[in-house]
Amino acid sequence: MTLNDLAPLIPLMVIAVSSVIIMLGIAFYRSRAFSGLLTLAGIAVAFITLFGVQGTRQVTSLLILDDYALFYIGLILAASFVVALLSSDYLEGRRENIEEFYILLLLSTLGSSVLAASTHFVSFFIGLEILSVSLYALIAYTRNELNIEAGVKYLVLAAASSAFLLFGIALLYGETGTMEFSRMSSGISAQGINKGMLLTGFALVLTGVGFKLAVAPFHMWTPDVYEGAPAPVTAFVATVSKGGVFALLLRYFIQVDMHAYPSLFGAVAFIAVASMFAGNLLALLQKNIKRILAYSSIAHLGYLLVAFLAGGVMRVTAVTFYLVAYFITTLGAFGVVTMLSGKERDADAVEDYQGLFRHRPWLALIFSAMLFSLAGIPLTAGFIGKFYIVAAGAGSALWLLVIMLVINSAIGLYYYLRIIVVLYAQPGHSEVSAVSSLPLTGSLVLVLLTVLLLWLGVYPEPLIEMIHRMTMRF
Amino acid sequence: MDSYLLIPFLPLAAFFINIIFGRTLIKDKAHWVSILAVFGSWVVSMMAVAEVLQGKTVNADLYTWITSGGFKVSVGFLIDQLTSVMLVVVTTCSTLIHIYSAGYMHGDKGYYRFFSYLSLFTFSMLMLVTANNFLQLYFGWEAVGLCSYFLIGFWYEKKSASDAGKKAFIVNRFGDFGFGIGVIMIFLTFGTLHYIPIFGAVNGMVGQTVDFLGMQVDLPTLIALLLFCGAVGKSAQIPLHVWLPDAMEGPTPVSALIHAATMVTAGVFMVARCNPIFSLSPVAMDVVAIVGAVTALFAATIGLVQNDIKRIIAYSTVSQLGYMFLACGVGAYGAGIFHLYTHAFFKALLFLCAGSVMHAMAGELDLQKMGGLKKYMPWTYLTMFVASLSIAGVPGLAGFFSKDEILWLAYSGPSPVGKLVWAIGTIVAFLTAFYSFRLIFLTFHGKFRGSHEQEHHLHESPKVMTIPLMILCVGAIASGWVGIPSLLGGGAHFTEFMKPVLGHLEGHGTHAEEWMVMAISVVAGLSGIGLAAFVYLREGDLAATVTQKFRFVHQVLWNKYYVDELYDFIIVRPTIWIAKNVIVGVTDGKIIEGIVNGVPELIGRFSLWLRSIQTGMVHQYAAVMAIGAFVVIAMVLLW
Amino acid sequence: MIPLHWYLWLSAVVFMVGVAGFLMRRNIIIMFMSIELMLNAVNISLVSFSRYLDDMRGQILVFFIIAVAAAEAAIGLGIIIALFRNKVTAHVDEANEMKG
Repeated sequence: MTLNDLAPLIPLMVIAVSSVIIMLGIAFYRSRAFSGLLTLAGIAVAFITLFGVQGTRQVTSLLILDDYALFYIGLILAASFVVALLSSDYLEGRRENIEEFYILLLLSTLGSSVLAASTHFVSFFIGLEILSVSLYALIAYTRNELNIEAGVKYLVLAAASSAFLLFGIALLYGETGTMEFSRMSSGISAQGINKGMLLTGFALVLTGVGFKLAVAPFHMWTPDVYEGAPAPVTAFVATVSKGGVFALLLRYFIQVDMHAYPSLFGAVAFIAVASMFAGNLLALLQKNIKRILAYSSIAHLGYLLVAFLAGGVMRVTAVTFYLVAYFITTLGAFGVVTMLSGKERDADAVEDYQGLFRHRPWLALIFSAMLFSLAGIPLTAGFIGKFYIVAAGAGSALWLLVIMLVINSAIGLYYYLRIIVVLYAQPGHSEVSAVSSLPLTGSLVLVLLTVLLLWLGVYPEPLIEMIHRMTMRF
Repeated sequence: MDSYLLIPFLPLAAFFINIIFGRTLIKDKAHWVSILAVFGSWVVSMMAVAEVLQGKTVNADLYTWITSGGFKVSVGFLIDQLTSVMLVVVTTCSTLIHIYSAGYMHGDKGYYRFFSYLSLFTFSMLMLVTANNFLQLYFGWEAVGLCSYFLIGFWYEKKSASDAGKKAFIVNRFGDFGFGIGVIMIFLTFGTLHYIPIFGAVNGMVGQTVDFLGMQVDLPTLIALLLFCGAVGKSAQIPLHVWLPDAMEGPTPVSALIHAATMVTAGVFMVARCNPIFSLSPVAMDVVAIVGAVTALFAATIGLVQNDIKRIIAYSTVSQLGYMFLACGVGAYGAGIFHLYTHAFFKALLFLCAGSVMHAMAGELDLQKMGGLKKYMPWTYLTMFVASLSIAGVPGLAGFFSKDEILWLAYSGPSPVGKLVWAIGTIVAFLTAFYSFRLIFLTFHGKFRGSHEQEHHLHESPKVMTIPLMILCVGAIASGWVGIPSLLGGGAHFTEFMKPVLGHLEGHGTHAEEWMVMAISVVAGLSGIGLAAFVYLREGDLAATVTQKFRFVHQVLWNKYYVDELYDFIIVRPTIWIAKNVIVGVTDGKIIEGIVNGVPELIGRFSLWLRSIQTGMVHQYAAVMAIGAFVVIAMVLLW
Repeated sequence: MIPLHWYLWLSAVVFMVGVAGFLMRRNIIIMFMSIELMLNAVNISLVSFSRYLDDMRGQILVFFIIAVAAAEAAIGLGIIIALFRNKVTAHVDEANEMKG
């Protein structure tokens, strides 16, 4: 390992170093503005340095910085940037000493980025744990009753899921004799493999990853954590933490060639269908916006798994495009929730949004755009994403899954539209609509996200091109 | 070409202007924005039609919307003969109805919201008809559905209105599901979604079968029937017709525009557009013809006995849409589109007249409380009378020419079910004339039967409403003159014009036969009018006597053949029973009508059950997670 | 030499004990300790695989696991203390404000 090997890691190191600087800085001088700006600067610099990484660079056997990893790291950094912007105004007045929030934010971003670049079980595990351990603290950050409850639930269950994951890793390691993804398939084809142990290992890894992705039947924590966590943190959990894990899952199962194991394929299909139905059905009668979004995210991950199961070139395109759309929409939706939240509680009851259009037409329009995208209505990024998933699924003749997906989209449409109808109804009596003024940065971010959403819906070509170039070398 | 972009995008711009500035700046001037925009697209449409008349069709891609590998979908426009007819229908009706709405919706607190939705609808509908590929068609398809959902529930304070919106939405899900799968099948078969290459390659599909969920199915039949599913939902054909009468809860201009003239005809348009696919499958064609004919008959008989003025017209719409499908099913696509075009005028006119009557009657819909309105509202009476003559097929008016062409081609065309559907169509012509004039006589003739306050309030509607009526009235009279058959000395220009897109179906029969078919339908229509006059004009209680005599028939018709009840009995109740006893165990015993409520009910109960697992207890979550892990392991090992 | 599968059985049994404890106990500290037990079961199997494969990587992962477990415990205890301050209990099921 030489200094030259380290060069591609600069984006990751920038993030790590920024968090250390903030940590040291706090010891001398507490300033929210300083920490916040440094965080934003750190993320921005890391994002820029991504463009400096040329070609595919394998750094030791742990990490690889190829176009795919760079793309996902970029996505993760962008999402963290948005969350950092949204949270600065949100945290104000909710808790004193909020500087540490940024350290935790940077660390979990780092963890997620490591996941996107990892090619080895050790980096996988380390990345996952950096991400989760920071998330425990972030979720419970403002220390009200719901925060802590959410923190406890996430802590206990995530720790257990890590244990499952590790047991799976141990079994896979024992059978194949390697921890590198790329060498795993040759290890598998060697003689004397105990198929049962191997498959159990896969299943346990799937359990651990499934927990992070919040897919059924490992989704139980999702609504409670989404509801209890501070709104910007919820946005973070929904996007950054899932994005990194999904990037890893895709890389891993492409490299070990999941299609060689029909039973594993069946298990993932089961998870996909269960997630779609569980998510959509649970969201149907829900009255809390954060919980609705939580359940809808379960369903969306189910849709993603359908594309994941499809083979061929379409798979990576579909998954990646859908994830980008999902990131934008989720950040936007939780951004609206964040902006409307009063200091007492988050604006998460559906009634809080009744007649929002009368008070805040722009916010209502933005929220509608986000919901339309989640529902997959044309002219939004969500539609194109869903189109690719259906095309990928149908292209691989996964008829049953595609039909399930179409049915579920129909169910999903119902509860998204229900919220939209509420937005344009007569105003109710809720204190949330009385929030005096909206923070400027947040508003700008939301407008930007909406523009992106529509742009990708109307003219997705450039992004698709970019993804194609990325998958070419994958 | 570039100016054609204005056709859909002017209304879109109006939508944005109204939704953004409507509340603060524009307020009660919102109609100006929308009307000017729609009028603008009407002007451009007319220019487009003029170009097409000279034979210049346009098929241009604006830009590439989605690519992947060799597959490409563009945003693009196809302006050909079929599109140009639809442009005439959509922009003309839309403009007039926008103007009318300025009077009708005057003073409503959602004034600007109404106009912005209306403009958005117009945009979506124009995107639907101008698309040059299936994805864009699908976009328009979904978007008009959404707008219709919002507009039906426009008066959301009324529970019946928001329920009706919901019903329309859910019923259409069933159809759109099939349509969506159909589009995917097309994509998989042809590798593209653009009309021209697909229709150029359809012949390669003949004889192919496909393994669909374990069955070997003829490919063209499968695709055609899946597409037809969508048409059945959108155009309210049996068995998905239940949403349209309920949709009358929306404001009347909405009923006229969306639920009579434009959106509901999208299904017919789509079938006509896909005629190369449908023509490959005799089975699918017969299904279309039979469904159309049965719907036409079924809805017409229900229309005979209803007392709600808007519902009668709604059933009449369902029935006439059935007529159009009947035409498509026997291969007479041109005649179907011709009827779509004439129907748009007289049916929009009927609805707007009904709206005018409601306006005068302060929202009253019940025929039994009306009567004698002729002298209070002469213009409304006159125009509605002409519209009814037109729908009844009185010679010389628009409805006569299109109906006659359908019946003649059904009778003389090659379709194996042609004679059957011709017979049904002729009966329907009689029924249509009867219920249309029953409506006229009960509303405008005789003595006023409402309360004194209502009588006091009676007045002709303002000019802004009556002028659109008169213009549409001209359409109801003259729009058919472009398609006068050669038998009557005309040139059958319409079908000739549509030939490049829809092909031309030759009727095989002698002139004598053609005269006979025409005579029969005219006699049917006139005798319908005559019977209505006999029953409702001359003798006040003859209707009551007949009702008494045929009590059973009347009951059946009054209750719309008990379809809602039937759905309730064979689908809803068992589903709820299963939901009650198998899945939940406890229930509030609520019974809701319609299949459309049964399935959601089941889903809702399942949802409640799932939620009950979500207890908030960590140890339970852990247990589910652990069980999940074991299930996954077991699946992996034992599969 | 003791055969590999003896270690694996040991590891599996310890892991299941951990799972059982995790599922059956309600006290959050004990649940946490059960998780530690599960992690240590993993460590046993990793070390034995490492030994039998004659490959150091398994043992290196074990060190990472130990370090991460310590970090997890530190943060975990912080959250548990916050819960205790709020509710004066370490019983996880008392934290069920949110459900459905």
